[in-house]
Amino acid sequence: MDRQALQERLLRIVGPDGIIDDPDELLVYEYDASDEVFAGHHRPDITVLPRTADQVQEIVKLANEFGVPVTPRGAGTGLAGAALAVRGGILVVMTRMNRVLEINERDGYAIVEPGVINLELSQLTQPRGYFFAPDPSSQRACTIGGNVANNSGGPHCLKYGVTSNHILGLEVVLPNGERIWTGGPAPESPGIDLTGVLVGSEGTLGIVTKVMVRLTRLPEAVNVLLAAFADLESASQATSAIIASGILPAALEMMDHLTIKAVEAAFHAGYPEDAGAVLLIELDGLAEIVAESADRVVELCRGCGATEVRVARTPRERELLWLGRKSAFGAMGRLAPNYYLVDTTVPRTKLPPTMRTVEELSREYRLRIANVFHAGDGNLHPLVLFDRFVPGEIERVLRCTTDILQYCVDVGGTLSGEHGIGLEKRDYMTLIFTTEDLCAMAGLKRSFDPRELFNPDKVFPSGFSCGEVNAIRQQAMAKRLGIEFV
Amino acid sequence: MSDRAVLQQALDRIATLGARQEPAAYEVDGLTPQLVVAPDSPAALQEILSLANEAGLATVPWGGGTQMGLGNLPRAFDLAIDLRKLNAIVQYEPDDLTVAVQAGCTLGELGAKLGAHGQMLPVDFPTADRTTIGGLVATGLSGPRRYGYGALRDLLIGITFALPSGQLSRGGGMVVKNVSGYDMMRLHYGALGSLGVIVQLNFKVIPKPRAERTVVAAYRRLSDAAEAALQVRFSQLAPTAIVLLDALSAQGVGLEMPGWVVSLRCEGPATAVQRQADRISEVVRPAADRVEVLEGHESERLWTEVGGSIGAGRLGRAIRVRIGQTPSELPRLAEEIDRARTGLVVELSRLLDIGSGLCYATLAAERDEDLQLAWQRLSGLGLHATLLTAPPGVKVDTDVFGRQPAGLAVMRALKETFDPNRILNPGRFIGRL
Repeated sequence: MDRQALQERLLRIVGPDGIIDDPDELLVYEYDASDEVFAGHHRPDITVLPRTADQVQEIVKLANEFGVPVTPRGAGTGLAGAALAVRGGILVVMTRMNRVLEINERDGYAIVEPGVINLELSQLTQPRGYFFAPDPSSQRACTIGGNVANNSGGPHCLKYGVTSNHILGLEVVLPNGERIWTGGPAPESPGIDLTGVLVGSEGTLGIVTKVMVRLTRLPEAVNVLLAAFADLESASQATSAIIASGILPAALEMMDHLTIKAVEAAFHAGYPEDAGAVLLIELDGLAEIVAESADRVVELCRGCGATEVRVARTPRERELLWLGRKSAFGAMGRLAPNYYLVDTTVPRTKLPPTMRTVEELSREYRLRIANVFHAGDGNLHPLVLFDRFVPGEIERVLRCTTDILQYCVDVGGTLSGEHGIGLEKRDYMTLIFTTEDLCAMAGLKRSFDPRELFNPDKVFPSGFSCGEVNAIRQQAMAKRLGIEFV
Repeated sequence: MSDRAVLQQALDRIATLGARQEPAAYEVDGLTPQLVVAPDSPAALQEILSLANEAGLATVPWGGGTQMGLGNLPRAFDLAIDLRKLNAIVQYEPDDLTVAVQAGCTLGELGAKLGAHGQMLPVDFPTADRTTIGGLVATGLSGPRRYGYGALRDLLIGITFALPSGQLSRGGGMVVKNVSGYDMMRLHYGALGSLGVIVQLNFKVIPKPRAERTVVAAYRRLSDAAEAALQVRFSQLAPTAIVLLDALSAQGVGLEMPGWVVSLRCEGPATAVQRQADRISEVVRPAADRVEVLEGHESERLWTEVGGSIGAGRLGRAIRVRIGQTPSELPRLAEEIDRARTGLVVELSRLLDIGSGLCYATLAAERDEDLQLAWQRLSGLGLHATLLTAPPGVKVDTDVFGRQPAGLAVMRALKETFDPNRILNPGRFIGRL
């Protein structure tokens, strides 16, 4: 690659302030929120910050011309390393494309650029009676574009569904440089559901330049309950009981003893410090339904041994309870210098044995594990605490987290509930998918990106290339026809 | 061997891989296949597909056959694969609210199983005892309840599909939140079985509401009816479906009311449903001629009939067009549709899904030419238009999926990758894929 020539051409597209080549400034783009210990750091050849969709399109065309990799990136809050330029090339940082282009109150949607911050969109639409439902814990920093790439979740996805359910349409620059709109404000756009395919594709199929999001009407009533339990297991049982009862809370979050202590020390959110676990339960909707459901939830929690059930009376109390939950990861710094967050989902009834297993593994590997997670949809987040400078600790963390993943898969769970596969979990993909499963996914990838320029080395296991698709296909065919395949 | 002989040999082998059915019952737009076979295992299906692929047999995956009006005229039709023997409920975990079901299971069978545990999939069709789950997902049909619960697309958590190569692949899983790998569920939702044959689908299911009521309000003028419906939609009230029907359409679902009728469905705990129905009635009453509240079975039956007005089953001498438009613009669209039929001797009924932003227009006429012209005019309206069903003569020289979307090139590439020999529903999908 002629780096000099590429840089000059890029300069013409984005201008001098749209390109970063100062080594000090570039340093930040070698990382994202994934832990360097596991994801490493990766230097892009060139980092650009386009301001318009036209510029993005020109950048992609140029990448094609030069045959260099393109890695899209939002705020870099991803935990799976998906925004790292593993093979160098051009890192396209979308944070400057941060305009809200349209808010349509009457029909309940907005059109935004991908660099808009998640929380800002909800703050902007709240006075008009709407919010953007997906609310990842990083919502104060993460971008809508990043949410689209990772099909992000968040506490309120229990009731409202993940990002994919809230994306109506996308303007996207495809790997060949073509720019198209998919979907739109009315459902059932004819043809293949490209919007649905693009959401969650981790920047491997294109770069989104505009996002049409569904806005959700603010509920008439909101009720937040805090239930304290002696241990994780009884809190897990209460979770299962609530879900099985037919009540669908807006959010159902769990925190264990370790997390409660850290959060209390850092934020004084008012959690009972002696509890083994707490559930944070939000109910919303019509006033009548919320009131009725709240009574039932209190009953169910007591039935599972809750030592205390508290109701937030004021918006301020509500906020405080949520602040504790949303800041839990930040509070971990009080417990250990490093933590490794495992994001995985199990069937909800498997939560109690899974939590038991996590506790056992914690003892076995002599590692403290804090738990703070979306219990309502079975989405675990064990935080394995460690100190990277203690010899042997990193290896133990890796073995421990692999065991946790393997257990979750064994009970019918999956690798990632909301953080994505990226770099971090690509080699675990074979735990849940067969070669034939992966080949079909590779076929999808190849249909969009035949040159494999977009976000290379992500999602698929190392060494797995789209070229294998054909080989596998021939093998399958040969087998059926009774031919020996060489 | 001649091409014909190769083809015959493949058909002969395929015929041994499942139960043979009578081809006459498997007509698609006037064509009947040479062979119909019903495999009783995924392995048999894989083998059939791989043979069909090798011989280049034009293959149509078949469910209950209730939505076969959808699709362009087939380029050819050699083989129908009847999937109704693949009808097992593979795994049902009531406490997890998840179910895995084979494609050939009917909506009715699944509904009964889920219902016994107080759960459901929120779609209503009068043909539930014949309509298969695989067929619903392949055609991408979800009723107006999608407003309250999401479309089937949003409830899908896993899929298994067979490719023409014979390969069996999966995506997703059995958990309600999952971002591991690409979303293969949405790849196949609404793709008309053109990228693979759906073998199994996993869903998150919904707790069945303990009670339901429907507020029905009649208006003389469309504008009043629309304003009432939109006002509820804009409020913090939470009906699970909002539709607006013209008089003929209302009659079709068993509502004998003149003018325009707004129907709003409330579901949930009994007292909450009652309160909500009362509050909705208050909102819609001022300009209404009449307001009624349907309860329980009566309410349920109405929505099953509504499901019949949005489907893609064959209608005889009529067409049905689905047009997407933002909810607030739907009333104007309803008027445009009426104007578009000026000069044509057609009977028109319109159902507007105000909750979701779709309009279903059903037009009946004696002559294909009139229907063709009507479709031509309607195809340009709204944000997108699909000819859901029409007599074969009306489908000549048109794409029933309407205007070409910007993403057609990618769709072609996907087809090329997954079905390079073009054996699955050849010619029937968008852009004649």
